[in-house]
Amino acid sequence: MLMMSIGQFDVKPAKAGFVAKCSEALRRGLSRPPSSSATHPTLSTNHNLEENPVKIVVCMKETPSTTVEKSFGPDMRIERRKEDAVINPFDEYTIEEGLRQQEKHAGSEVIALCMGPATATDNIRRALAMGADRGVLVTDPALAGSDAIGTARVLAAALKQIGFDLALFGSAAADAYGGVVPSAVAEFLGMPLLSFAGKLDIDGSTARIERQAEVGYQVAEASMPALVSVVKSINEPRYPSMKGIMQAKKKPIDTLTLANLGLDADTVGAAGAREEALSAEKVTAQRKGEIYMGNEGAADRIVAFLVEQKVL
Amino acid sequence: MADTTIEAASSPATTQTDDHNQQHQQRAHRHAPLPPALDLYGIDNLLSDEERLVRDTVRDFVRERVLPIIGEHFEAGTFPKALIPEVAQLGLLGMHIQGYGCAGMSAVAYGLACQELEYGDSGLRSFVSVQGSLAMFPISAFGSEEQKQRWLPRMAKGEVIGCFGLTEPDHGSDPSGMETRARRDGDSYILNGTKMWITNGGIADLAVVWAKAEDGIRGFLVERGTPGFTTSDVHHKLSLRASITSELHFEDCRIPAENMLPNVRGLRGPLSCLDEARYGIAWGANGAARACYEAALDYAKSRTQFDRPIGGFQLTQQKLVNMATELVKAQLLALQLGRLKDQGMAHPVQVSLAKRNNVREALHTAREARSVLGANGVTLEYPISRHMNNLESVYTYEGTDDIHTLIVGQAITGLNAFS
Ligand SMILES: Cc1cc2nc3c(=O)[nH]c(=O)nc-3n(C[C@H](O)[C@H](O)[C@H](O)COP(=O)(O)OP(=O)(O)OC[C@H]3O[C@@H](n4cnc5c(N)ncnc54)[C@H](O)[C@@H]3O)c2cc1C
Repeated sequence: MLMMSIGQFDVKPAKAGFVAKCSEALRRGLSRPPSSSATHPTLSTNHNLEENPVKIVVCMKETPSTTVEKSFGPDMRIERRKEDAVINPFDEYTIEEGLRQQEKHAGSEVIALCMGPATATDNIRRALAMGADRGVLVTDPALAGSDAIGTARVLAAALKQIGFDLALFGSAAADAYGGVVPSAVAEFLGMPLLSFAGKLDIDGSTARIERQAEVGYQVAEASMPALVSVVKSINEPRYPSMKGIMQAKKKPIDTLTLANLGLDADTVGAAGAREEALSAEKVTAQRKGEIYMGNEGAADRIVAFLVEQKVL
Repeated sequence: MADTTIEAASSPATTQTDDHNQQHQQRAHRHAPLPPALDLYGIDNLLSDEERLVRDTVRDFVRERVLPIIGEHFEAGTFPKALIPEVAQLGLLGMHIQGYGCAGMSAVAYGLACQELEYGDSGLRSFVSVQGSLAMFPISAFGSEEQKQRWLPRMAKGEVIGCFGLTEPDHGSDPSGMETRARRDGDSYILNGTKMWITNGGIADLAVVWAKAEDGIRGFLVERGTPGFTTSDVHHKLSLRASITSELHFEDCRIPAENMLPNVRGLRGPLSCLDEARYGIAWGANGAARACYEAALDYAKSRTQFDRPIGGFQLTQQKLVNMATELVKAQLLALQLGRLKDQGMAHPVQVSLAKRNNVREALHTAREARSVLGANGVTLEYPISRHMNNLESVYTYEGTDDIHTLIVGQAITGLNAFS
């Protein structure tokens, strides 16, 4: 049921007109009056961009490290251990992109938003050590077992409360690989999503992305506030620096509960989940090899194989 | 019988339900869960969140940026210079120094960084140790305000590389016999002499050189390019091959008098630097040991001979258990030393004890691990031989194993056995 919805959310054309849909409450939450940049939407140059602060929320999930063996509990949920929890590898690109935009647009703010267990502050701290200004953790016992839609409902509410010009997401989470959340959040907020961005530019009040396609790339743009999901080719995430780690100690992490967000416990978590995992099976890696013998045609077949695998 | 024990102890082979039963049983018997093979004593829990973040950051960096290239550099005998801006960006250069563009982190954090760097290669850790503890530290501890302002921020950024010249061709363990001289001449000092085995010497922009002046041993800052100062690299090393080791030559090398470090005189100067660096080595050696133990453990579980994994043979298990045990002990030693240091309570004798023990045990571990891998152990395909060879230098520099024995021996007996 969920898989199908990816398409539905995603094909939503991102148009400037969408901005009209965003609620007043959301506008009030913005870090700056949205008007200032509207004076030069088409003429803006890089020089102008530098004085265009944006409020960026980077959404990050905590996932089990890809190097640990995953196990499932009797409820078919992945068993999560604090020691193994890392920032979803896809979201490192999200955070990095937020920081790069901040570097380009002086005065911008980057806020790391995470829905997760209370212990996720460790990983939020890591995002702060990379350079984010502050963190927001949405945590509540009732959130356990949330499916993609439940998660999106919570993130949408939190984003609304925080206020933003740009909300950034990874293209998927390394534990479930659903990839639905960004589009679902966009739907809840009634805002445009620029999905699978390989490049992001902010130009006045417009966000513009390039999305890699089979041949060439597509350009999509939307008026801010807008949501953007990024792919791994967009940047090379930095490591937290030692200074960053020291500074992160002093940066605030706010905690929000369901009550703070005005959400009903039975619309989220296991109670509100419409998604149900029925079974899980271990994937056994199979090595498949083909051996081409002899001189005749072997080279051609190897080349053909490599082309087929898109190596060449 | 033995087979079932192995099965039970290695969870990957068990099914999820088995896992569950096992956990349930453990709870019933009031056992804590089986600790992971790489943290048998839960030392992770002794670290703060921030310390773990430092460790994990450097660990990721080493895995992603160092391990893929370090074998080639070792083989070619080259230092991976491209990593300099990257370690600088991470803030590892002088990370335990306060101010002047440095992060000002705790001794434990610095130790953890050394540990992870040396998991990669002792050469890289040596580079960072020399820059931070042997070149930046004396400037920050004994330098004038101008010297600190002038050098430390650029050294933290990796724009200025430093080296530390104490050892001479004829004076190693006993540096008090040094022959390098600094003669005062008006507003200058004139240096004459040779320093030997100097890490980073050939790439250094700034040498911290210890020489005898009229009033005793003094530290001098000598810039590359100063007339009368030349360097030549030591070639054909079979250890620390991914690190530059050089000779420094001073021939009537005239430097401004204000390049002397004003605030220290006598052997205490260089020795306090060594104390800093040795502290880092006590941690670093554990990184090399962990790399060897990890590789041996992995190999022992997958390599089969006589129809079973070699890890199932008692002799191999004994080797692995020795490695695991010594690693845990060495880690606890380093951590307690770090905690003492952060409280300002660490004594140089404790640093000697930890440097001696941890490097010695790392070397044993490397040798045993090497044997577990059989022929594969001698190749660069695995990290073990590289670490084993590196550790021979680590065993010798910053006070040989013997010298640290005598330091601790003197401390506990009150009797000097040096001479
Ligand atoms: C790769 C590498 C990098 C180095 N980098 C630096 C650097 O950056 N800066 C620097 O200044 N130096 C550096 N050194 C030098 C190092 O610190 C010396 O090699 C070390 O102090 C030992 O000196 P030595 O080699 O002259 O040996 P020696 O002092 O001659 O010792 C030879 C042997 O005699 C033993 N011995 C000596 N005295 C006694 C005693 N009283 N009782 C019992 N045994 C004794 C020693 O333990 C050793 O086994 C480096 C060395 C190496 C190998």
